[in-house]
Amino acid sequence: MAFYEENPQSVTKADVIVGIPTFNEAGNIAQTTEQVDRGLSEYFPGMECVIINCDNHSTDGTREAFFAAAGKVPRIYLSSPPEERGKGVNLRNFFTKSKQLSPKALITVEADVRNIAAHWIRDLGMPIIKGAGYVCPLYVRHKYEATLTSSFLYPLLRCLYGRRVRQPNVGDFGFSPKMLDIFLEAPFVNEHIGNYGIDIWMTNIALASRVPIVQAFMGAPKVHRLKDPDEHLRTLFREVLSTIFELMKVYKSFWEQVKWSKPTALSGTDLYEVETPLPVEIDAAKLHRQFLAGFDRYYGLWEKVYGPTIVPKLQEIRSMGLQHFAFPTQTWATIMFDSAAAYQRMDQAARNEMLDALLPLHLGKVLSFVKKTERMSLQQAEDYVETECAIFEENKPYIVKVWD
Amino acid sequence: MPKILVVDDEEHIRLLYSEELKEAGYEVITAESGFKLLETIESEKPDLVILDIKMVDYNGLDLLQDIRNQFYDLPVILSTAYDTFKEDMKSIAADFYVVKSFDLTELKNKIVMALETRLP
Repeated sequence: MAFYEENPQSVTKADVIVGIPTFNEAGNIAQTTEQVDRGLSEYFPGMECVIINCDNHSTDGTREAFFAAAGKVPRIYLSSPPEERGKGVNLRNFFTKSKQLSPKALITVEADVRNIAAHWIRDLGMPIIKGAGYVCPLYVRHKYEATLTSSFLYPLLRCLYGRRVRQPNVGDFGFSPKMLDIFLEAPFVNEHIGNYGIDIWMTNIALASRVPIVQAFMGAPKVHRLKDPDEHLRTLFREVLSTIFELMKVYKSFWEQVKWSKPTALSGTDLYEVETPLPVEIDAAKLHRQFLAGFDRYYGLWEKVYGPTIVPKLQEIRSMGLQHFAFPTQTWATIMFDSAAAYQRMDQAARNEMLDALLPLHLGKVLSFVKKTERMSLQQAEDYVETECAIFEENKPYIVKVWD
Repeated sequence: MPKILVVDDEEHIRLLYSEELKEAGYEVITAESGFKLLETIESEKPDLVILDIKMVDYNGLDLLQDIRNQFYDLPVILSTAYDTFKEDMKSIAADFYVVKSFDLTELKNKIVMALETRLP
């Protein structure tokens, strides 16, 4: 339950609820709230709507900015206690409050998105009104954007749970009341879900719940407030992967039966002219240095976890040098599967160390992707990602074998 | 015996697919266009659809969208003469695609995979 609630319009029921999780977003939340308000008013007329700001006890005036934003849709403000931080904490409060309002559709959007538009609310919410269980957006992305997703989130979740959701960790979702109940009952398997793990937790639970999933094509990139992508990479990597590995234990009886993947339904494909993705700068030499540094620090651990087949392969990759660098996808898939299995047998400290040791290998895989696709168009790079996913799927029996 | 619906406006393709897939042990029904396709699927309840992308009166990718919206888990294999269709976002709603050929080995492999993909 939220530590603090402010419900000035005494809202007790809502058909469509939009949640905006925040921590110190005073500079952004007004614009986001105004777009959400417009979206609800324009695309869900005649339905009872509410916007909920689920906050982490911000001290910068986020709450005041939320209530001051222009618009007519009723609002509720929730806050966690001052000592509790993280998007996952906020969304748990959002789920609990939303349950009391008997909604027909729920949407969450991030507060710090510069280009959020009113129609995003339609795109995320309308498929739910039409019967979908979960909506994941498909933003226009540069081939080198969201490398965590292309490197392992998409291929791994797809081969485990058998559904092709291209941007599973994107941070904005629509979901049904049935999915809300599932979220409320699902295990919050570790503390990481309170932070960066919550987005992948939601999609992973949806995948394992077999609700109809729709990917909503948004026609535009998602532009965040300027962030340093490297700043939180280690934490993000650790929290996202540990969430997936923890849920693999919970849903083992499901994923071990899945053979190949299936597509999802799509929406929004006729609505937009496709915008150009934002440019992404990649420093190949830096990625190479980070990969090589992993040998000095983690080689002993790699030997223990990945064994006599993979470690010589890593040495071979190391010997290639930057110019001819290539990290075979089959090797990468085996590393991911071995890591998932090893994670289950470790204590928390060893798990964290193994995930940290996996990061340089991921950076090596990213470098390999960059080298392979540098002359490819966006479409060709997407085809290449699909080929990599097929390799994960073909090697699925390996994870079933090494798991027990 | 799994039932396969072949949707293609070229008669020789319908005949080729019918004969070979029947020989491979499938029940095959055909449609020469997308006309009332959803009703056909509703009444015939095929286990899999092979769908031509470019038909004279119908866009296979639009039909794919309709099928996926109404029959969420029904496997659909796109059958095409060219692979330029991948530039259209709608194509990702297909389970697989094959380039049309007189050798149906790849198509048969994809059919097996698609029919194996019933989620638990």
